[in-house]
Amino acid sequence: MSETQFIGKPATRVDALEKVMGTAKYIGDYRLPGMLVARTLRSTLPHARILEVDVSAALKVPGVLAAITCDDFIDYGRFGFPVADMFMLAHQRVRYAGDGIAAIAAENEAALEAGLAAIRVVLEELPGVFDPKAALDPAAPVIGENPWDAPDLPRGNLLVQYTVRKGDPEDELARCAVTLDEDYSTMHQEHAYIETEGALAVPWPDHTGVVVYAPCQSPFINRSNLVRTLGLGEENVRVIQPQVGGAFGGKDDLMYQISGQVAKLALLTGRPVRMILAREESVIASYKRDAMQLNIRLGADLSGKLRASKIHGVVDSGAYASITPFTAWRSSIHAMGPYRYDACHVDIDVAYTNNGYSGAFRGFGNTEVCAAIEQAIDELAFRLNQDPIDLRLMNCLRPGDTTPHGQLLGDDVSLAECLEQVRRLSDWDRKRVDFSRPGPDGATQPGLRKGIGAAAVFHGMSLGAEGSDFAVGTLAINDDYSLTLTSGLTDYGTGSRTVFTLIAAETLGLKPERIHMPRPDTDLAIDSGPTVASRSTILGGNATRETALRLDGLLTQAAASLLGCQAAAVVRHGEEYIGPAEEPVSFELVVDHARKIGLTLTSRGRWNSPENHWSFENGQGKPYFAYHFGAQVAEVQVDTGTGKVDVTGFWAAHNTGTIIFPQGAYGQLYGGIAQGLGYALMERVDFDNGYIQATNFDEYLIPTALDVPEIVGAFVEKPFSAGPYGAKNLGEPGMVPAAPAILNAIFHACGQRVRHLPANLERVLLGKDLRKEGSSTACKLGLGLRETG
Amino acid sequence: MNINFILNGKPVWADVPADTTLLSVLRDQLGLTGTKEGCGIGECGACSVLLDNRLVNSCLTLAAQAGGRQVVTIEGVCGPDGGPSDLQQAFIQFGAVQCGFCIPGMVLAGEALLALNPQPNRVEIREAIAGNLCRCTGYQQIVDAIQATAGSRQEKNQHV
Repeated sequence: MSETQFIGKPATRVDALEKVMGTAKYIGDYRLPGMLVARTLRSTLPHARILEVDVSAALKVPGVLAAITCDDFIDYGRFGFPVADMFMLAHQRVRYAGDGIAAIAAENEAALEAGLAAIRVVLEELPGVFDPKAALDPAAPVIGENPWDAPDLPRGNLLVQYTVRKGDPEDELARCAVTLDEDYSTMHQEHAYIETEGALAVPWPDHTGVVVYAPCQSPFINRSNLVRTLGLGEENVRVIQPQVGGAFGGKDDLMYQISGQVAKLALLTGRPVRMILAREESVIASYKRDAMQLNIRLGADLSGKLRASKIHGVVDSGAYASITPFTAWRSSIHAMGPYRYDACHVDIDVAYTNNGYSGAFRGFGNTEVCAAIEQAIDELAFRLNQDPIDLRLMNCLRPGDTTPHGQLLGDDVSLAECLEQVRRLSDWDRKRVDFSRPGPDGATQPGLRKGIGAAAVFHGMSLGAEGSDFAVGTLAINDDYSLTLTSGLTDYGTGSRTVFTLIAAETLGLKPERIHMPRPDTDLAIDSGPTVASRSTILGGNATRETALRLDGLLTQAAASLLGCQAAAVVRHGEEYIGPAEEPVSFELVVDHARKIGLTLTSRGRWNSPENHWSFENGQGKPYFAYHFGAQVAEVQVDTGTGKVDVTGFWAAHNTGTIIFPQGAYGQLYGGIAQGLGYALMERVDFDNGYIQATNFDEYLIPTALDVPEIVGAFVEKPFSAGPYGAKNLGEPGMVPAAPAILNAIFHACGQRVRHLPANLERVLLGKDLRKEGSSTACKLGLGLRETG
Repeated sequence: MNINFILNGKPVWADVPADTTLLSVLRDQLGLTGTKEGCGIGECGACSVLLDNRLVNSCLTLAAQAGGRQVVTIEGVCGPDGGPSDLQQAFIQFGAVQCGFCIPGMVLAGEALLALNPQPNRVEIREAIAGNLCRCTGYQQIVDAIQATAGSRQEKNQHV
């Protein structure tokens, strides 16, 4: 790749200054005259029929200005994609403890409390289902009735099934010299963004429209839900994304409900209405990473060559589908790991339960299956008495290979390089030997043991065959010679606005300081689908490049006209345009001239992802247009007296293509690894009979600066032909292999294989839980949750 | 009750009920929204402020406890020209900022540490910010920024 001016060079995050100065405005920081406060009344039962909701007494409470239920929305506020099974407020039934039933707007907190207490709710408790396998029993109580609205589907709690099919693994497994057949499980994980959910709705003066400030990930989906459920025209609803205090996949469905509720309350009262969730309410009401149970069977010949894999997984979607059908599909595609097999079957079943509900979370189904398959590969290496990195190198996908899905891979595949690099960086070969020797205490004595473990990842880029995949960007040159850049994809702390700015600057040959990106706004930007699936850099980056190329074309035309030459003869030096006479003209002069000759200095660029396809019937296809590859190594120290695990070192090598914004890329990598460390060792959302046990950071622990080790990150910058300037995406894959690398290191340290996450003290020390955790009465349902019935 | 204290170098007063937290006074009465609420129970550190140069969780501090004392919030941290301080500049330069919600608290935790220990090692820095949760960054670039600031301040002091 030729020398770049801005791409890959040190750069400043576009909103870093306001964030370090404390002036960045998050939703909780907005203050408007006459602004009302709002809160949702939530179910205290995990599954119940709603017999009555009466808000009339609440409306008589002084200071309460409006109260709403599902009846205040068109079609009861039904929304959801791919399954429209959610409502702005629960309709007929509550399906999890925390489901919203009614909402109130009031002058102040005291009136709000009194108003919520005055709402009369009569619930008839229904039997709940709290285990996804039990949910699939035909005799189980049914939670989601005919979710797809398809009469030919069996009723019951089976939400969806996915398969991958290559050859006959049973046949292969029977002939394998070494086999493995183990059960693994992963638990629900809380996103734990430090900013809780909230939204502010400002009605138009004549009540015919509303502006909603919502720190959600996908403002266009939010607007579409609002338009439909409020019965307003698209031009009457504007969604603006203020600063978002972290999301990680978690600020969609619940944010849509909050947006709908404040919008309706604002339209009814004619006043600005804001709702901010307390942490406890956020944890109880919001969706989680899905929990998953997996059975993995693997077979290899004596040399270590993988022959077959047969994988069955059950996903706990909880009470609603959210986008779990998509995460589960991604699970099915990635469940076998980035390896070659002669035969491979994957079956993933998704079940409704009354355990809260599941949705998007960094890694999107891959984090879950990677925790299992990368442990299984490690276990197989142990049985073969082979080095785990050697075994991975022998079997990993390489350029020109065909995946178990039947996809021919291109030359961007570089997993082997990642494995080799992380092996070198971590001093793997020496440590594998040194740590295996009895230490000063001896292996059988209580004391400290060190271990080192590896894991690999592949991660299909963007949405894949899950949906149409495109993004749109626009550019306009302003009167002061600054430029305004928009993207329909949003930046919730990921750094995508900085990435887009650098791409536009590079393409236009203009300084990044000239380019401004307004906050994501449905009135200013063009719908580009959801901001999920690590799609921003490739999709949004390519769309930015497209729009910049078009604007650059206009400017070059203007420059040629000014310089009296053909456009092809114009060359650039910094921001200047130079013609054959070698007399440079400034960008400003070119802009002035362009306006003089009547050119409109705006542009719009769209980028469609390369084709992909998937046969749900045959379990074969080309699920993603390309993959990110990576490998990570964790070093741990296990206290064999207590089971306490310290992660003492971490190395990661990822095939990212060209890095556009280095500080941002490293930040994504480090942050992902920290979340993976929490997933491996401490994070666990426990539902006991449908009740969440830990509702704040005193009990739901996430890694602190002392829990996370110094991380050594390396990028294998093999340019990716379809990426903007050769870039691949990075946001999610950094997290995905971190947990199994740590779990494999624990096994290396002390011989304890923790197949059921997280690896807490008793599991590492004893290999099992000490007790059934918690009790349903221990549930702390507070803040807006009132006795009902 | 009436409470008087010095906020970012200037005397302020507020008339609030006795059970009002310092966080609430700062955000709701005085309109300084740089101090954030993340958990409300003193676990996340997003509400960190300096009380007589000591880092405290303002969600656990009653406003009355600030009476007659010095309070510094993120709005009171800047360089001599009113722009970012060297520590804030280092946060920007090292990519220590992602979503930014924890950053005001992190900057104050960094300042509190450097005031007590001008040359902390990386473990000491990690200990000093262990009460401030960040879900985005994995902390490494925050540690880099604080360490670099300690180094540059030391160098400056030697040249003076």
